[in-house]
Amino acid sequence: MTDGVTTVRERTRSGRGAATAGPRPGRSRRSGSRAARPWLLLAPALLVMGGLLLYPLLRVVVISLQDFGLRQLVSGRTSWIGFDNYAELLGDPDLWRTVLPNTVVFAVVAVALTVVVGTLVALLLARLRPLTRGIVTTAIMLAWAVPAVTGTYVWVFLFTPGDGIAVQALDALGLTDAATANPFASRISFYAVATLNVVHHGFPFVALTVLAGLLTVPQEVTEAAIVDGAGAWRRFWSVTFPMLRPVFAVVTVLSTIWDFKVFTQIYLMPGGDGVNRGVLNLGTWSYVESFAQNRYGLGAAIAVLLTVLLLIITVGYLRLLFKEDEL
Amino acid sequence: MRASSLGKGLGVAGLLLFTLFPVYLMVVTAFNGRANAGSRSLWPEDWTFRNFTFVLGEGGFGRYLSNSLLVALGTVLAGALLALLAAVAVARFRFRFRTSVLVMILIIQMVPVEALVIPLFIQARSLGVLDSLFGLVVVYLAFSLPFAIWTLRGFVAAVPVELEEAAYLDGASWGRMFWSVLLPLVAPGLVATSVFSFITAWNEFVFALTFMADQDNYTVAVGLRRFFGQYGTDWGALMAGSTLITLPVMVFFVIAQKRLTDGLVAGAVKG
Repeated sequence: MTDGVTTVRERTRSGRGAATAGPRPGRSRRSGSRAARPWLLLAPALLVMGGLLLYPLLRVVVISLQDFGLRQLVSGRTSWIGFDNYAELLGDPDLWRTVLPNTVVFAVVAVALTVVVGTLVALLLARLRPLTRGIVTTAIMLAWAVPAVTGTYVWVFLFTPGDGIAVQALDALGLTDAATANPFASRISFYAVATLNVVHHGFPFVALTVLAGLLTVPQEVTEAAIVDGAGAWRRFWSVTFPMLRPVFAVVTVLSTIWDFKVFTQIYLMPGGDGVNRGVLNLGTWSYVESFAQNRYGLGAAIAVLLTVLLLIITVGYLRLLFKEDEL
Repeated sequence: MRASSLGKGLGVAGLLLFTLFPVYLMVVTAFNGRANAGSRSLWPEDWTFRNFTFVLGEGGFGRYLSNSLLVALGTVLAGALLALLAAVAVARFRFRFRTSVLVMILIIQMVPVEALVIPLFIQARSLGVLDSLFGLVVVYLAFSLPFAIWTLRGFVAAVPVELEEAAYLDGASWGRMFWSVLLPLVAPGLVATSVFSFITAWNEFVFALTFMADQDNYTVAVGLRRFFGQYGTDWGALMAGSTLITLPVMVFFVIAQKRLTDGLVAGAVKG
């Protein structure tokens, strides 16, 4: 992943650079404004991202090694306590029994459902006539456009204990008793509602990306498979899936990253803001410890744990990307 | 043949129901005059604008809307400029650490807001910029930049270098070429990333919740919480507010639909 991997194709594509460049090692010494120009162009964006994304990332690690509470927030004086916050975090049975399972199981289930639903929708869209496809795509875009905040309130509205429309419907089917059922009280049903919300919000990205991939599969390949007598199921696993493997890899990893750090959709549900500790995930736990309990040190340690998990997934994502196409 | 078209029809119907039902329910409840009196019907008996007038009047939502609009427009304008300059740098120049910069831009997108909100809150508090809309613009700018640069880079790279060279042959300076050749050609990409930045800023919840103490500074995402209570939720008002928040985003999404998906695919798949 170093500078040296730039291909000939890329260099010729940026013809101007290639014409004046000469051999690579000498390039950095090329004096004058041309060498500085990319950095001048990059400077404002790098400053903003460095100051508001990279620096805080270092700060959160520092804070996680400190005893940082309300008093320290007011006085500005902090004391180092080494890995005490991490020791407390990793020694907390809640982490292993509640928070990690909530985070991981939810992410796995939500990602699986999002990718399966999105792929099925893409396969359906690819078989529609252009007009119908346009209409359905627009409907999907509308679902995608619903902000997380308002979408969450609609799902909460549907599942309100007692008179929520979905609760009533489940009662009519004999699956629950509307008079007593509270979908937000138990962990399983709480996260079932959250999963519906997240899948509804997340599948459009998968569907439209996979559809774009499907349209690049040459017609002849599909026809050849049909001539060979392959059914739809067989065609998908033997032709479509192998050809679109990188597309599936990317949507899966991106969905995993998004679903791992889901916050708003959980926090806004009844009890999700820390009132019901049984439904905390890593994101909401970190936030609640920091801003409700004023234990910024411990909250930072939880946030670091979440970031490390995401970093591992991201590295996997980058390796997938680079295998396919380089920068 | 007929069975398969029946299957397709059912699939489309089910899909439309799943995607549009929550949206439908939101809008219908916003117009339901008895939404708070236990009437949770799919088709209100009492159609009314009262929820909207309440939300915009007593609810103070007009103020939240203008706050959000201000923050989002600030983010879009600053973001478009910064992202375009950076995208030109990484798409048109080969320079040392270029790959490192690109990898950093990719990696930084995964940083969870939960990890950033703690240090930034402490920092903003000590600098005394909590409770300011400008502070939110700066934060949202940082959030929207990585994606905008990554996507715009694809659009810039798609502009043939020959066009730039033609401009130079005609005696144009780099600045003139940028303004008269490159900018018009990447305009569609700029529209797509601007829409995305707008939506990022308009929808953001965590920072608006943490930074804004004074109700006058609430953005729509946080202002909506006023109608939601553990025991007494004003569903008519909540859904009217939700509708007001969602409509502009939907309009933007549908307008930018094609470009946005092209950009996503270019950014996500081709790199």
